[in-house]
Amino acid sequence: MPATLRVTNLSKTYGRGEQAVYAVRGVSFATEPGEFVAIVGPSGSGKTTLLAMIGGLLTPTGGSIEVNGRDIAKLGNGERAAYRRESVGYVFQANNLVPYLTGRENLLLMQAIAGGGRKEARQRASQLLEELGLASRADAFASRLSGGERQRVAIGRALMNNPDLVLVDEPTASLDSQRGRQVVRSLMEEVKSREKLGIMVTHDMEMAALADRVLELHDGLLKEGSAASV
Amino acid sequence: MIGLLEIRRRKFQFALIALIVTLITYLVLMVNGLGVGLNELSGRALKNFNADGIAYSDKANLSVVRSEMSQEAVGRAIALPGVTAGTPIGYFAVNIRKLDGSNAKVKSAAMIGYEPGTIGEPGVTAGRKLAAGEGDAILADKSFLKLTDLKVGDSVTLAYRLTSRSFRIVGEIDQGAFFFQPTIYALRATWQEMKYGDNAPGQPAASIVLLKGKALPGLIGDGYRIVDKDTAFNNIEGVTSQQSTVDALAAFGYLIGALVIGVFFYVLTLQKVAQIGMLKALGASSFFVFRQLLVQVFVLAIVGVGAAVPLAWLTNNGLQRLPETVPVAFTTRTFVVTSIAMVVTALVGAIFSGRQVAKVDPIIALGQQQ
Repeated sequence: MPATLRVTNLSKTYGRGEQAVYAVRGVSFATEPGEFVAIVGPSGSGKTTLLAMIGGLLTPTGGSIEVNGRDIAKLGNGERAAYRRESVGYVFQANNLVPYLTGRENLLLMQAIAGGGRKEARQRASQLLEELGLASRADAFASRLSGGERQRVAIGRALMNNPDLVLVDEPTASLDSQRGRQVVRSLMEEVKSREKLGIMVTHDMEMAALADRVLELHDGLLKEGSAASV
Repeated sequence: MIGLLEIRRRKFQFALIALIVTLITYLVLMVNGLGVGLNELSGRALKNFNADGIAYSDKANLSVVRSEMSQEAVGRAIALPGVTAGTPIGYFAVNIRKLDGSNAKVKSAAMIGYEPGTIGEPGVTAGRKLAAGEGDAILADKSFLKLTDLKVGDSVTLAYRLTSRSFRIVGEIDQGAFFFQPTIYALRATWQEMKYGDNAPGQPAASIVLLKGKALPGLIGDGYRIVDKDTAFNNIEGVTSQQSTVDALAAFGYLIGALVIGVFFYVLTLQKVAQIGMLKALGASSFFVFRQLLVQVFVLAIVGVGAAVPLAWLTNNGLQRLPETVPVAFTTRTFVVTSIAMVVTALVGAIFSGRQVAKVDPIIALGQQQ
């Protein structure tokens, strides 16, 4: 099923009164199925907060996030966890692999969390590891992998459950830019071929240029005109 | 899956926790074994009586030591409707003296007087039974032979009141102890002579009466009061308080076990907050994470308890070889009940961590950004 996302007047405020920090202030945008969007902006512009809200990790203060027509801004904790495991593939900035599991097991972990056929999961994991160039390192413990290898395992894990949304937070943090571009390209191919949706937060403009569209965030606001295609 | 893999990949850490479980289980097992052992010493001989009910003197307050029953009271108890068999039993504490007459290590024994051919007659595990009228022979319990280093065929001098009397040990029995004394069985006539000096009419004929039959416990009549064996056992002096002491020790063992395991897993959970946050960010429910924890605790408890059981069993075997018996005894029930209780205890301990797991916010997976 093609994935659609419509973000309307989304805001996130931390704290209250004079102490209040307005991290995201009324952001609206919509995407087409198969689209790969980059969100750029300086540190503290609210990029990661925006991504976390779309990924169901943070509850917005206001506004709505419709994923395939369902507003996930108003879900309870349990439903949000279900949304995360079923619809979202999140590549965290810190990768966050389970160190005592192998790369392959880190992928299969998603099947343990979300359920589904074990045999299919094994096939999918092997296929993803192959595509990400990790076939030879698949059975090494995550703690023994290089930063780049970990990043690719994290991407494989994000794709394991065939999510509607693939969210990537600062992919270049632990990748050299050449390798990084290659990985982001394969991620884009995956998103396009399945008509899913990719959103990448980055401050690397070269990386952002690979996306179909670049959203520029400043002080929690989308910069005018940034919604245009690049 | 991930819980079990973690155990396999971090064997050393988990082995340490399993070791703690083993030690605590071992302690609780030994305490419970001590309880069983003390109970056996208190009155296994009484529990081994072949009886549905035991009649005491109605004035004896269910004390075997103080109970003295007349021939008539014995007769009335045995004549009760519903009694299918009954026999008088005498109890008398005697001192064991070596043949050389030395008093160097005076130990006491519980002499039981019985009538051959009745339900009061114990089974013989070696040697032979007493013949009627055989007043110079006794049957000795295994524990008596171990204590005195005597065997079937040897003679032993028993001191009582101001005199003593020699007996030949003609048979070995396995009836257990009574009031922490090994038992010896003699003919009731011998018992009566020793305890009361003669067999004249008017002397007590028995301490208690063993009875077979239905619905006997609870009956009270002229000179007798009948209770079941459990009541009789619990009324042995000191048994109830001894049992509650042992139970309290075991309860502390479980409590400490629950606390230690609880704290271990609590700390382990705190250490893994980042990882738990990540699992939750990936969409794992708190229940999923907690389930992994429970599986881990369950496996560790099984392994820990599994190691403690043979350890306790070996210790028990070692103790039995010592000349001075340490009152530790194990029944299958001790092992089964303690093991199950310990596993449950461990799982209860893990519940502390459940709240901690539920409190972890998946947002921490985003990293330490300000």
